[in-house]
Amino acid sequence: MRLKELNLRSKIPPMAVLGLIGLIFVVIVDKFLSAYITSVISFIFLYMILAVSLNITNGFTGLFSLGHPAFMGVGGYIASLLILPVFRKEFFLPELPQWLATQQWSFFPAIVMGGLIAAIVALIIGYPVLRLKDHYLGVATIGLIFIVKVILKNNEQYTRGALGLNGLEFKTSIWWIYFWLVITVYVAWKLKFSSYGRTMLGMKENEMACSCLGSNVTALKIMAFVIGAFFAGVSGGLWAHLTTVITPDSFSPSLAFNLVVMLVIGGTGSISGSLIAAGGISLLIEYLRPLEEALGMYGLGQILISVVLLFVLIFRTRGLLGSSELKFLQKEV
Amino acid sequence: MYITELIINGLIQGSLYALIAIGFTMVYGILRLINFAHGDVMMIGAFLTIGLLKINLPWQISMLLILLVGGAVGFTIDKVAFRPMRGAPQVTGFIASLALSLLLQNLGILLFSAQPRNFFLPEFFRKTTLVFGLEVRYLSFVIVFSTFILLTILLLFVKKTKLGIAMRATAENLQVARLMGIRVNTTIMVAFVIGSGLAAYSGMLWGGRYGQVDPLMGFLPGLKAFVAAVIGGVGSIAGAAIGGYILGFSEILFVGLLPVGMSGYRDAFVFGLLIIILLFLPNGILGTSEEVRA
Amino acid sequence: MLKLLKKARPVALVLILILLSTSILMAAGKAEDAKDKPIKLGGMYNLTGGFSSIDAPGLSGAKLKAKLINEAGGILGGRMIEVVGYDTQTDQQAAATQSKRAIDQGVVAGLGYGDTTYVMAAAPLYQSAGIPFVTSGATHPDLPKWVGDMFFMVPFGDDDQSYAIADFAWNTLGVRKVVIWTDDSMDFTLALSKFFKERFIELGGTIIHELFYQTGDTDFSAHIARLRDARDAEAVFVGSVPNEAGLTVKQIREAGIKIPIISADGYDTELVATVPGPALANDVYFSTHTYRSDDRPEVLNFIEEYIKEYKREPENAFAACGFDAVGLIADAIERAGTTEGKALQKALAETKNYQGVTGQIAYTRPSRVPVKPIAIIGVQGGKFEYLDTWWPEL
Repeated sequence: MRLKELNLRSKIPPMAVLGLIGLIFVVIVDKFLSAYITSVISFIFLYMILAVSLNITNGFTGLFSLGHPAFMGVGGYIASLLILPVFRKEFFLPELPQWLATQQWSFFPAIVMGGLIAAIVALIIGYPVLRLKDHYLGVATIGLIFIVKVILKNNEQYTRGALGLNGLEFKTSIWWIYFWLVITVYVAWKLKFSSYGRTMLGMKENEMACSCLGSNVTALKIMAFVIGAFFAGVSGGLWAHLTTVITPDSFSPSLAFNLVVMLVIGGTGSISGSLIAAGGISLLIEYLRPLEEALGMYGLGQILISVVLLFVLIFRTRGLLGSSELKFLQKEV
Repeated sequence: MYITELIINGLIQGSLYALIAIGFTMVYGILRLINFAHGDVMMIGAFLTIGLLKINLPWQISMLLILLVGGAVGFTIDKVAFRPMRGAPQVTGFIASLALSLLLQNLGILLFSAQPRNFFLPEFFRKTTLVFGLEVRYLSFVIVFSTFILLTILLLFVKKTKLGIAMRATAENLQVARLMGIRVNTTIMVAFVIGSGLAAYSGMLWGGRYGQVDPLMGFLPGLKAFVAAVIGGVGSIAGAAIGGYILGFSEILFVGLLPVGMSGYRDAFVFGLLIIILLFLPNGILGTSEEVRA
Repeated sequence: MLKLLKKARPVALVLILILLSTSILMAAGKAEDAKDKPIKLGGMYNLTGGFSSIDAPGLSGAKLKAKLINEAGGILGGRMIEVVGYDTQTDQQAAATQSKRAIDQGVVAGLGYGDTTYVMAAAPLYQSAGIPFVTSGATHPDLPKWVGDMFFMVPFGDDDQSYAIADFAWNTLGVRKVVIWTDDSMDFTLALSKFFKERFIELGGTIIHELFYQTGDTDFSAHIARLRDARDAEAVFVGSVPNEAGLTVKQIREAGIKIPIISADGYDTELVATVPGPALANDVYFSTHTYRSDDRPEVLNFIEEYIKEYKREPENAFAACGFDAVGLIADAIERAGTTEGKALQKALAETKNYQGVTGQIAYTRPSRVPVKPIAIIGVQGGKFEYLDTWWPEL
């Protein structure tokens, strides 16, 4: 009896089962439920991608990066510029240089390109900036958000400045988001349970010890930063084509804070924790809306959420799952 | 003359930022806790001033009351929100402070509405005098002098008094301080009280200088206080003040001295400067290399 | 395999629970527009977050108008109007999602927002659902072109209001050289400055320099130092939103600079007088909706009802605009005789003479930006006075 169980368990990874359940969920939502609910679920998935990718950067290595919105901005604009049909480019951005004005890419390559450019930016910036520790890094990455914002605002011929780009095509169906969610979770999972991942988690606990044991700490930090930035860039592109609008203000420090909240509530370092927290918090916000509207007390929802957050933090200071994953998802050692 | 005007204004703006940053760093230095609610205590101070002025209290008493009430708010925040989290990872406290900030802001909107309102300090503060040919209001003097005086008092407090030394010890190494018999919880509470009192007081000054307050006014200053404290070096009070002045001066000088068309790049330059400072001085200006807590 | 699925049970259960509860909650709001039910309008506004001070009065105005219409017996033979307020929290994502929710819940028209960015996140969704959207406060003249034929504006376009104040400055104030301050974080303020520059240069004027700042800035001392330095400046045009209106006037006057300060409807707020105070609020001129200091009966009635309902005066012009948005939609519904999308759109497009609080609304231009009179208001000694009316060229 025992032998059989062991064999079966290792053949079908729990994550695959979860993925399957998720797929069925998506089918139900898409086919049977309204555009509104599809929209809500789409954004929940998007926040999950963001939370998990931030987990790679912050949760695994213990870095304190607040820079995700900057990478979303980069990825979002690149993807938008590539996807925007040529005639619209002429209309919105008449001064675009010729080589760019004639491009018109399809969805998937453009999103990937957005992610890649964001990753490259992260690589260039990461090298000097990742030497900073903790809060110093936090300030530097907040600075990055502002710098990206200013560059986007002031280069009107490429970005249309503060007006941003609107009327983007609604290309991000719930299927695409789910697809990217699966990829993000897969990459994160594989990374966490690889030797790189184990070292990263070790770095979080005690960087000096790891370095003494021979790990290339800097290289790992950059790796985590760049991978996280890639998915942030992808999310930016997905976001832009879900809301059909992108402006320099779309991705602000507030978003960074919200993501860190989800990360901490779920437990930094826990992938399933991020998923649960991102989903839970987003749903809670939606549920509280009818209450706000009925009472006419707008802002009440946010107050209630703050209180819930405070409670969770007071009683479970390491977040819901700490650094570990949901029981049923854990691989046997 | 033109440069004089820029420098004087940079000094005033820098002093405001420095004051907020100093209050922020009191708690930050000891607990490494980024208290985002700091900006909102500033907002509470500003609104409280409106209330106090309405009932016609003499301004000297109002000022004192604001410091005290600010301190009381700080005490409450510590007791209710942060003390239960002692020992948790730093980032937990940061999130808690964000939640608190959100709470305070939305309470403010529910109670006072999001509309900005005007703000007038008593006549005395609005009298002016000439400094190097520029008309400067008494309030501006109050701002600059308050900052210097409070900074000096705090530095002396932290160097000479028992409690102050206890705070420095706790900031350096909490565990060891506890082992040495320092009552760490009390020390932290004092830090919160002082920090929040300063925040409330700077709220009053901020309102007086700009004449307009609203429930969301604390977010940006709070963020800048964090930036200033980090640039100055985590845990250094004088550093936080320096950080505040750098921020204040660079905001004004960049707009004043760069070519006119570049004024839109102000924030990029300011943050660019800050990042460069950090790259050369990775522990901030007056910060020291942190002990690796093994 | 079975064992695994058993383990997965709790997760599957949770997901199913979420789906169920979500559907129930959302279905509770779902409705078709039935004959005996209230007519629902979707009030899309940012009631919390950075834009709340601009948007919240819009919803207040909208709800007030609905209340007044209902008290007078409703429309389409006694049906009540209900303005459902959707708070999109100064968040583009929420704007998109809540629009879908509103459409789901059977609103016959959408209205709201005071800013182009949020309009662009919300209105296209209404457009593709075939439901009209009337913005109460967004003023960019290209909006109808960008969104589509379901889109209507209550306010005039930024081009009109900037031309108005430029003409006034040139003709009445005799100003020939200006300094411009532009808030470059908002499309609205950028448009204001752009159109002002266009008109002023066309008239033959000179722009001495243009400086930028951002929404949320409080300190203008560097800008003032530069202004002072530009000795031949005869006026300063500030492309601003209400949040910075009072701050800019106060600081400019406190610095002893006495030249006229001019702007557009971003300055239409009590703050422009209360923040500097009566001693300093002088020589400020701005173009805006014709309702402030106007003694038309609609205006007086509006202010009176607003005070009665909310115990305070209208906070800014957007309250009046929200009021008019609902009024305009209600009027169109009566004319169309139905709440159906296409018919309603046709009735709206045919509006020739709706007498709103903010002036007369007519959609006679191909751009579908309403032709509306624009008031020039001056502030002296902290008091608002009506100075002139400007009409767009047809």
